[in-house]
Amino acid sequence: MRRMLFLILFELKKILNRKKALLFLLALNIVPLVASLALIVAYVKFKGFGFGEVQFSVLHEIVKGLFTAHFKLFAFIAPFFLALVVGDSFSTELSRGYMKMLLLTPVRRWQVITAKTLAIMLFLLLAVCLGGFFLQADLLVARSLTQASGVLPANALPDALNIDISKPLYLVSTSSAFQLLVLTFVGNLMLIGFFIVFALFFESAILMSFTSLSALMGVHTFYLIASSLLNKIDVWYESAAKWCFTRHLDELFSVNTIETILENRGNLLTDNIFTAWQSSLGWAVLFYAIAVLLFSRRQILH
Amino acid sequence: MNAEMSAITVSRLCKNFGRKQVLKGLDFSVPLNTIAGFLGPNGAGKTTTMRMLLGLIPGIDGEITMLSHTMPGGRTIALEEIGAVVENPAFIESMSAYENLYWFGSLYKPLTDQRIFEVIEMVGLKDAARQRFGTFSTGMKQRLGVAFGILHRPKLLILDEPTSGMDPAGRVHMREILTRIHDEEKTSIFLSSHLLDEVQRLCNYVVIIDNGRCVKQGYVSELLSGHSERWEIRVVDEDAAKTRELLAAMHEAVIDINQGPRGLVVSLQTGKSAEVNSGLIKAGVRVVALIPLEASLEETFIKLTGNGVSVGGGA
Repeated sequence: MRRMLFLILFELKKILNRKKALLFLLALNIVPLVASLALIVAYVKFKGFGFGEVQFSVLHEIVKGLFTAHFKLFAFIAPFFLALVVGDSFSTELSRGYMKMLLLTPVRRWQVITAKTLAIMLFLLLAVCLGGFFLQADLLVARSLTQASGVLPANALPDALNIDISKPLYLVSTSSAFQLLVLTFVGNLMLIGFFIVFALFFESAILMSFTSLSALMGVHTFYLIASSLLNKIDVWYESAAKWCFTRHLDELFSVNTIETILENRGNLLTDNIFTAWQSSLGWAVLFYAIAVLLFSRRQILH
Repeated sequence: MNAEMSAITVSRLCKNFGRKQVLKGLDFSVPLNTIAGFLGPNGAGKTTTMRMLLGLIPGIDGEITMLSHTMPGGRTIALEEIGAVVENPAFIESMSAYENLYWFGSLYKPLTDQRIFEVIEMVGLKDAARQRFGTFSTGMKQRLGVAFGILHRPKLLILDEPTSGMDPAGRVHMREILTRIHDEEKTSIFLSSHLLDEVQRLCNYVVIIDNGRCVKQGYVSELLSGHSERWEIRVVDEDAAKTRELLAAMHEAVIDINQGPRGLVVSLQTGKSAEVNSGLIKAGVRVVALIPLEASLEETFIKLTGNGVSVGGGA
């Protein structure tokens, strides 16, 4: 157990030691980072002009857009970075011989896979939390902008302000933001598993990333386009696509899902969202099991 | 030899790479408290055997017992007492020697800083302890590999080509380190090499394999005891022909005479060297030097492995 914890720490240290890691963390959270800057500038500026200029509804739209953009973009670019991180942790270590050194010590092979997987998960969690942190900061600034502007006094009644009651009074609730972060994390877990299976076949991180991303896109395209066309030939294609793992990803990161959670119309336990993230977890476990099986038979030749 | 007394016992070990049969029922055992050399021509299956011992190649067809733990079930327990040094050890380049030893070594058991620095000093890397691994020379890398192997005070140290790519001074240093580890920490050592003179200088036990089978194993002294004494005799140039005649006449002492690069190389019956020398001097030959040529493993090796030439490469 102590050995396992140590191994996870070691793997995390190796990931964070690379200069790439910092770049990934920044690039993945570019939207909230830039937005933070923009909002701070806005705050300073409006403060100087004596407040009162920011409409609640406008700010509401902006913040909602910011959240949607962040989660959509995160879901879109995370695979590219994750593929490289996984590639570095597995393929590069295989080719450089670090893996061999690890396996000379009395650690079991499944422990190596598990420690690496957990370390990459922690890295992803760090990326997600960093985004969450900046989004939260954005929210704070935005809230203080509206409240200080006098458009929405902290304890005012909505009808007195002539605001449409069907719209929420707050910008984005903390619980929605938190649920979206969880969703991002869980959805990407499956991709980590998918990449690890690929990484065991390659000894070059770049080649591995390229191939696995191509495969991912291929599968996704099949589900998205080809299945609807091929469906007309045989319904089998449609049912195959329904079980395809990228379908669940698509569902998880659709604008629709993000907006449903943002507007508090649904949460993680809502039917289709629940099914999607449960299946994505299931796929993650499956990929992990395949990776362990493959790696336990792998010959380490250099 | 029973399993309790031996450091490594391998029996009926087979391994195929595709259609090529690399190990064909390999059998050998290495006693405890020896420095054992593992010899064989290229492609004989040395590296494959080493990897199977360390569990880098899973799926063992045959039996491997190390320190009385059967592989692969006892691998984890066995490896806690075994140090391994592979060819071209790969540590993390951006970390220092100390950090590398700390992180990799702690996977064996918790380490104290004192032990890490003790080992670093033992392999002569004291000045480079805080230097990044990426800036190390080949010799330094190999020495750090040895440091990693002995960090947890193993009972058995397994080394794969420990001196490959090192310069002569580095080799001498490596031999000193290994002898010191063997003496001070009571570690049994098992090393593979194809440098025969090195194995002869360092090891007291050898296992010779060829073509996937063990062809000879035993203590070096026993292996070499069958040899006659060999001497190189250097005389003043004018006396060369006379010396040859004289030697040819000494039937009871001289077995064989050959022309060496700088003198005559003669094989003598054991213990007859003084007699031959005095015979030559009495006959007025000006003997410049009488140099004993140590019996070498090379002959045994080449005799056993069929000229040492074989088809195939290292796996």
